[in-house]
Amino acid sequence: MPELAMAELGYKKHLKVELFPTIWCPGCGIGTIMMQLAIVLDEMGLDERNTVIVTGIGCTGRMGSYLKHESVYTLHGRTLPVAEAIKTVRPELNVIVVAGDGDTASIGGNHLVHAIRRNAPVTVLCNNNEIYGLTGGQTGPTTPTGTKTLTSPIGNPNTPINLQGIVRSSPNAMYAKTTVYHLLHMRNAMREAIEWGGFAFVDITSQCIENNGRRIGFASANEMLTFYRKTYKRAPKGAEVLKAFELGTVYPEGHPSRNGQTDGAGASHEGPVASAVASNTGAAEAPASAPAPTLAPAGSAKPQASDEEKARRRAESQKKLALMQQLDAAVKVRVAKGEISLPDALREAGIDPEALT
Amino acid sequence: MRKLIQGNEAVFRAAVAAGANYYAGYPISPSTEILNIASAYAAAHHHEFRFLQAEDEIASANAVIGASLAGAKAFTATSGPGFSLMQEAIGYAQKVGVPSVFVDVQRVGPATGMPTMPGQGDIMQVKWGSSGDYTPLAFYPNGVEEAFHITIQAFNAAEESLSPVVILSDTFVAHLNEVVDIDELIASAEVVPRSMPPLGQHEAGSPRFFAGVLMYESGPSAGEPATADADEYMRQYYEAKHRHVEVARRYALYEHGWNHDADVLIVCYGIVSRVASPLATEYALFRPIRIHPMLEEELREVAAAYREVVVIEANDGQYADMVELAIRREVKRVPLLGGRISIEAVRDGIERVLAGGPSEPPIPAAPAERVGPSPLEVAG
Repeated sequence: MPELAMAELGYKKHLKVELFPTIWCPGCGIGTIMMQLAIVLDEMGLDERNTVIVTGIGCTGRMGSYLKHESVYTLHGRTLPVAEAIKTVRPELNVIVVAGDGDTASIGGNHLVHAIRRNAPVTVLCNNNEIYGLTGGQTGPTTPTGTKTLTSPIGNPNTPINLQGIVRSSPNAMYAKTTVYHLLHMRNAMREAIEWGGFAFVDITSQCIENNGRRIGFASANEMLTFYRKTYKRAPKGAEVLKAFELGTVYPEGHPSRNGQTDGAGASHEGPVASAVASNTGAAEAPASAPAPTLAPAGSAKPQASDEEKARRRAESQKKLALMQQLDAAVKVRVAKGEISLPDALREAGIDPEALT
Repeated sequence: MRKLIQGNEAVFRAAVAAGANYYAGYPISPSTEILNIASAYAAAHHHEFRFLQAEDEIASANAVIGASLAGAKAFTATSGPGFSLMQEAIGYAQKVGVPSVFVDVQRVGPATGMPTMPGQGDIMQVKWGSSGDYTPLAFYPNGVEEAFHITIQAFNAAEESLSPVVILSDTFVAHLNEVVDIDELIASAEVVPRSMPPLGQHEAGSPRFFAGVLMYESGPSAGEPATADADEYMRQYYEAKHRHVEVARRYALYEHGWNHDADVLIVCYGIVSRVASPLATEYALFRPIRIHPMLEEELREVAAAYREVVVIEANDGQYADMVELAIRREVKRVPLLGGRISIEAVRDGIERVLAGGPSEPPIPAAPAERVGPSPLEVAG
């Protein structure tokens, strides 16, 4: 499928495919998250110069080694202090934390609470598989009550930690819930989180078939994905709190998306962002118009696209896609590889490239 | 301008003179002044200096690592219990090669211990505190001006060795006020620039992967885990060890002073060397400033000329063990415990051990009556 070939070529720039296959078990959800992240990074035009990946310990932590970005594989639970400091010293970098639920919410729980309190302007992608997978399947902070694990042989007696509640204890932080089944939603949530000016947390339910799924009655990863498809539903627009098995994004009070004007994941955020980033970490305190701190090279601050700009870009890409679809498959691949420009290809096919503009 | 400056402040002023532009910390006596001064400095010099009051020392230490990888000269200051919490991160910084500076203002431990009393109980924690093998660099000044010089050198050594360098201090050195010409000190500081490219400014097409786990870092397997390859472990381990030893050689700092013609050599460091200085006419002094790696050759050479070696320290023989290993002969030990670092305790201790007595001092029986609040508490 040539369209797929085009998409593939784009996101592969972000992956060290030469290191594949990955260490992750067949059926693991982390690879899905990594691919969606690579696509988002590609779509957003982020690259190894402006985006740094910080990972924690656990299966998820290994993602940094497969991404063609500068990456810090921290100690267990310590992603956030490291990430926050990187962002403070180099505010022009996008700092994306990728960590599991155990790393983020258990051993790193104190850092999570305080990074949120300080509104550290970092993006957290939490691979929430409800288990300690790397060590064989012990109860994690997000393991549901009653789930049998290696360390809760008669069922987990405790309630899982309320990640949404913790994140939303801040008046500035954004929280999104998605799953590895809902790929488009996941990508939109990731994109929105990366664009968010303050602390952003994407809670991604994913499957660990080998060390959790089988033990709780799933025969395959596919069955787990089917379960996510059937049980997770989009939250109503403007929802202030996500209920169990609801997908969506929740915003601080006063944010335009809060009242349902926009559509959750994928919406833009300019309102409270500037004021939201007041923290004692330094970087965020500078007003937007202030000169770049001497610590960091100037002129690479993350652009925040407006709603109009986003709509324009969307229309442009849809127009492009419609024109592309009129091309021969082989030509499309040549366009994707950059061997021939799209206007030239259109001209060859007898289509007026002016239609692009 | 000549000014009265506190030991803790000298460390901070020197750090800034050395190019430090990031501080993360958590309040803990007796290092807190550095945190306070850092926050005030950051508020006044926002674009040049960043400050984080972290949620704990674990976060402080890891933030220092993140800041350093991002290109800042970063440091933190703490005391024994906080230093314990930082050990895991220090091990990470050793493994990954993160230039950074950790200040440990020692008090009496273990645990919360005697928070306001001076101790020297972290000498071995510096060496063995994190898991696994590594070759730490640590320095211990005994006064305000020296604290300034040592801090500059610690930052320089951190850049040269690509490692977390420790500045040891203690309650007394930290709170000592001495007159120094701070402008002259700042002007004369020789500073080694940042040694590694910050995150995002790597060689194009070769993004780095900073990992606490053992990975192949170059060659055809770059990026693959090396978690079962002893050869790769040893390549990386010895490369770091040799680098640290080579850098340490440039900072072989010690003082051989007092009465060289005496027949007893006193080995002490930090505040103990100041407290014991009235004995300067009676004994010779060997005062290591570079605590780790141990100044083995230097000490062996000096000690050879003396009949007896007495190690006096505010712990139960931590450095004395290292001295014995280095000079391969028995030394006398005078431990000054519980914060009692006084000339009387030093003099009594030396006399006791030289007369063949035990290192353990005579300890009075516990009081039969209730001990009231300390004078400090009454005053406060």
